[in-house]
Amino acid sequence: MPVIKVNNRDVHIQELNKGAAETVLLIHGMFSNLSVYYFNIAPVLAEHFHVVMYDLKSHGMSERTLQGYDLHSMTDDLYALMEVLNLGQVHLAGYSFGGLIALKMAVRFPEKLRKLVLIEAPDPNDAQTRGIIDEYSREFLEHYVANFTDTTKVKMGKRQMDRNHRMYEYLFYQTSIKSDMIRESGFFNNPGIAKLEKDTLLVYGSDSNCLEAGKQLHQKISRSDLVPLAGDHNIPIQEPVMVAELVAGFFKN
Amino acid sequence: MDTITKNKQLNNDEIFDLMKQFITEVIGEEFVEEMDITPKSSFTKDLEMDSIEIVSFSEKIKAHFGEQIDFTGWLSAMDLDQLINLNLEMIINYIHECQSSK
Repeated sequence: MPVIKVNNRDVHIQELNKGAAETVLLIHGMFSNLSVYYFNIAPVLAEHFHVVMYDLKSHGMSERTLQGYDLHSMTDDLYALMEVLNLGQVHLAGYSFGGLIALKMAVRFPEKLRKLVLIEAPDPNDAQTRGIIDEYSREFLEHYVANFTDTTKVKMGKRQMDRNHRMYEYLFYQTSIKSDMIRESGFFNNPGIAKLEKDTLLVYGSDSNCLEAGKQLHQKISRSDLVPLAGDHNIPIQEPVMVAELVAGFFKN
Repeated sequence: MDTITKNKQLNNDEIFDLMKQFITEVIGEEFVEEMDITPKSSFTKDLEMDSIEIVSFSEKIKAHFGEQIDFTGWLSAMDLDQLINLNLEMIINYIHECQSSK
């Protein structure tokens, strides 16, 4: 379990195929952790690339932190991680909130990126995205698990539910995540997005509520392709191999 | 010591005991005491391990057996249903097969 110090905080990382010439860095979503990539997606990418996964602050096995969940701070964290790992330029992929971090990274530090993949990155101005942040409660979690994770087939037991509940409670009530996210509602209007010159792959579920966000980004980013796959917001969990092969092919060519 | 442990071929009971030790290290003794861990125990349903705990468990296996087994590669060939239904016996058999083929 490699835990490294980045800006004096513990960050849990996992790496595969360290000797490869090019690196793919993977960013998970909010309330998730690097395991979304670890089992299926990362091993496929590792056939061609050095793969780095990390747990965002207060997620997975990384250290809890009260503040700094806005995209500026999250990309500061990622930049610092890349410095510690001595990574010059990487292929960057992010899922959901991790997609927003990846996009912000491309806008702020284009010199650190080769190509960009955004999987199901939501529009932070979308009412449904904000609603999740506004209305957290234990009931919300139970409802969320019952209704939104059913397509992933993973059922939580009591210990898992308690563990997740504790993490959600911490993030919602003790950290600045809510106010930080609300401040990001205008992010899609950031002029840097329209100026982006990186080859960008937008992967969205054809039944996802976020597909509209994908279309918006496709219009704004000139060198982008939008690929809708059969599925919803949970597409990396529903179709990991398809997503992995699509992403690997895009990074290779 | 480590080298001797890693090179020694373990029988199925020994692999099972090692798996139990790793599970205890990952989820904590207080939870393990309440469970009856058997080779048929599945990680998700019976042991209620979530995915980041299974990552920790996998890392312990990789650290212990090193290049003797390609545990990540083995897991990556599974679809979601297989991962959810993964139980200790499947891992014991896999490790046993890897040891036998060396």
